[in-house]
Amino acid sequence: MSAPQPEPLDLKTQMTRAAASLHKPSPAKATAVTSDLSIDETLLLHSVGWEPVDLVFGASIVSVPAGVWNWGNGEIVQASEAHTKAVEEACRHTERQCSHVKGFGVVGVGVDVAIHPHHIDVRLLGTAVRPTKPNAAEKRQFDTRGGFISDLSARDFVLLRQAGWAALGLTFGTSFVYAPRRSAGTVLQQKGQNVELTNLTTAMYAARESAMERMQASALSLGGQGVVAVRVNEGPVTFASHSIQFSAIGTAVSLATDAHQYCQPQVVLPLDDILVQFDATSLRH
Amino acid sequence: MSEAQTGDEGRESEDRGPQPTDLPKDASRRLKELEAGLFTSDLSVNEFLLIKEAGFHPLGFVMGSSIYHTGLQVRKFTKSEELTKLTEAMYNARELAMTRMEEEADELGADGVVGVRLDVNYYEWGKDAAEFIAMGTAVKAENGQSYRNKLGKPFTSDLSGQDFWTIMQTGHVPQALVMGTCVYHIAHRGLGQALGSMGQNVELPNFTQALYEARELAMTRMQDEANELGASGIVGVRLEEKSHQWGSHTIEFLSLGTAVTKGTGEITLPRPTTVISLDN
Amino acid sequence: MTTYSDVPSESEGRLSAPAFSSGLTVPDFAACLEMGLEPVGLVQGYCVMKWSWYGASSPYMRGMGPLRSNDQPRAYSEAFQCPHGFIAGDHVTWGQNFEQTLVESAWEQGFLSAYTRLLEEATEAGGHGVIGLIDTVRPLTDQAVIEFHLLGTAVVVRGAPGPPDGHPWSTYLAGQRLVKLIEAGFMPVSVAATLASVQVWPYCMTEYYLRGQGGNFNWSPRFPTAEIEQLSRAQIAVCHLAREHVRAQLGSDTLYGATMATSDHEANGGSILECTLRGNRVRRFKDFDPLDPPRPTVRLT
Repeated sequence: MSAPQPEPLDLKTQMTRAAASLHKPSPAKATAVTSDLSIDETLLLHSVGWEPVDLVFGASIVSVPAGVWNWGNGEIVQASEAHTKAVEEACRHTERQCSHVKGFGVVGVGVDVAIHPHHIDVRLLGTAVRPTKPNAAEKRQFDTRGGFISDLSARDFVLLRQAGWAALGLTFGTSFVYAPRRSAGTVLQQKGQNVELTNLTTAMYAARESAMERMQASALSLGGQGVVAVRVNEGPVTFASHSIQFSAIGTAVSLATDAHQYCQPQVVLPLDDILVQFDATSLRH
Repeated sequence: MSEAQTGDEGRESEDRGPQPTDLPKDASRRLKELEAGLFTSDLSVNEFLLIKEAGFHPLGFVMGSSIYHTGLQVRKFTKSEELTKLTEAMYNARELAMTRMEEEADELGADGVVGVRLDVNYYEWGKDAAEFIAMGTAVKAENGQSYRNKLGKPFTSDLSGQDFWTIMQTGHVPQALVMGTCVYHIAHRGLGQALGSMGQNVELPNFTQALYEARELAMTRMQDEANELGASGIVGVRLEEKSHQWGSHTIEFLSLGTAVTKGTGEITLPRPTTVISLDN
Repeated sequence: MTTYSDVPSESEGRLSAPAFSSGLTVPDFAACLEMGLEPVGLVQGYCVMKWSWYGASSPYMRGMGPLRSNDQPRAYSEAFQCPHGFIAGDHVTWGQNFEQTLVESAWEQGFLSAYTRLLEEATEAGGHGVIGLIDTVRPLTDQAVIEFHLLGTAVVVRGAPGPPDGHPWSTYLAGQRLVKLIEAGFMPVSVAATLASVQVWPYCMTEYYLRGQGGNFNWSPRFPTAEIEQLSRAQIAVCHLAREHVRAQLGSDTLYGATMATSDHEANGGSILECTLRGNRVRRFKDFDPLDPPRPTVRLT
């Protein structure tokens, strides 16, 4: 808790003091900090005793040999491998940068994946953060597990931390499969029918399940108790529409305290534009 | 769990492809890992915290899908009518997806599934084939009480984490995601009719009739599902209209909502503080 | 660069008018007054630059590598040697990643010119600082002709001395976000923006990977997937350069609220990767005094 304020928070006085400070020489001992967090996120981090350290990034471009996207059967192993390799390498690089600037972890990581016919590109960008005065649990986590990378925003990171959960790292799983062909006879037979295409369904399930399993395996290897904020991306690959991609990315978490700390939110009723509440389009989304 | 064992035995003894009510083998493997204690969820952090506040813990991200060939039904150019075969097809496809999702939740021993999303994907390679997907996060009550619905199945709801928390505070419990669907074909107007109303501001009775009827059918079916569950009400009703791949004169009306029943009846929602936000 | 004022004379009348113009929205304006800032005028700076990439006009450039001059002895450059030995006359035996210092200094010149003109207009309007800066950099007609446009609102801080050296301070922020920045103990100093540009001349391995040949000059399934090192290193280098350029501008101040964007395109038989980094340069003016963790709420909308 903060000590009683020594002076009232008069904004105008603060502004004039701020403007006057430009005339004084800047303190030479401070090291330059770069951060892509917004002011709200920075304030939230400060309120739990953490601070941004530096912008960190990682990138990796992995090749996919020719002929991989031609129609085949089952999983497109090389594409899945390339994707996994690219994300892992990019994460590794980001972690190296994070430890170089002595951060405890990276939050707000933007994961940018581009799939091209012959290569898969992954770019990561986030801000390394650290506690200004690390407590025992945080030190222990850093010493045993190293820095974490998470695509949680700084705000989500703070909320989880207040609830007693620590972020362990980025977990992801991807799989590419070929859509199985139907024989000509089957096509004709099913043409006029409204019927489930069971072989296609099974193929889709195979893709999903292997991707989710990989994500779960990566969460377990980080020692996580769970994965939150999983983002799932599935659909045909743009340039090869008979290949289906399924990828899932989330953050592994585990309880840092004995039990979940309940937050007991306050319920508020905003008295904003009443007309908006009654707009019938809200029924239709 | 006995349900899982029966499922496995059934699969091994038959050599046919997966039956509509069986989960593909791959799903079971993953679900076993989840039972070992790792939870996955596609809830945002806000929703995760509110689910915990409501006294539930997420178990795992569950999905159900089905790729359905929604082909053909002969329709008369000048008649407005419900295309019952297509309605059935759309209904079956979604039911398959939802049922598989519920089965996965069942295997995890969940009390319910929250944040259910129903999506349709179209793939270029499958003309008239669409993939129906249902996904959500399975949750279990931490106090050990069972929250399963009247049919003994885990409840499903498309309520977000925030809405789920709020509704639990009002003493109501979700039962199931209920839906009603109706695929309707709108008659094309004859040349005489079209010329007759040119230049006039007039109601088009066939369209009015047709679309009114279609919507009523969809909503009635949804209501019927809720009645079967013995629900006291439906919240968060959404009415969606899609033409899928059939052209503009054939529309599917889908009405979705969450059926709820009064639980303990106690309203624990704290009195809200009124605020007015000064941002855009 | 510019030793005389090249701000158009049309601006003089507008900036000395008694009524102020501003680019602030109503909530931002309210927040301004709350802070004791008075808007005095809408100011802008503009510049159009032309440059070309290495090799665009000179086909001999390919053999020469990046220019090194005395003031830029440590520009990034990395060479990649072909591991194959002699194959054929047209086999690309070496490749290079290098920083395009010419492009970078041209961008810097364009941005600084626009920025200086903006600050000149602000000084003319009598302002101490510029808030709510909007900067747009985009190609004009041609690929190699770029326009830089900066727009902001000049403000005066009542009761404070004018800025040191007559240079107004500036920031991208306005409104409540600026209020929160001040309350957090930071004072905006200026905006910082930079472009880093790296040209990639691929060598044989990169070319084979990009064609899907799996890293061998004969198609071979032996090396199914592998990292395309030259491209990964170029991507990381370009982001690193952008960050270091901005860090050099910061001194001991902090860069806050940064946005980093990368792009790439084909040119001159290779590809060019660019990375822009923009942010607010801020300085701490009071001791660290964090707020309590805020109360979570659920809104009943």
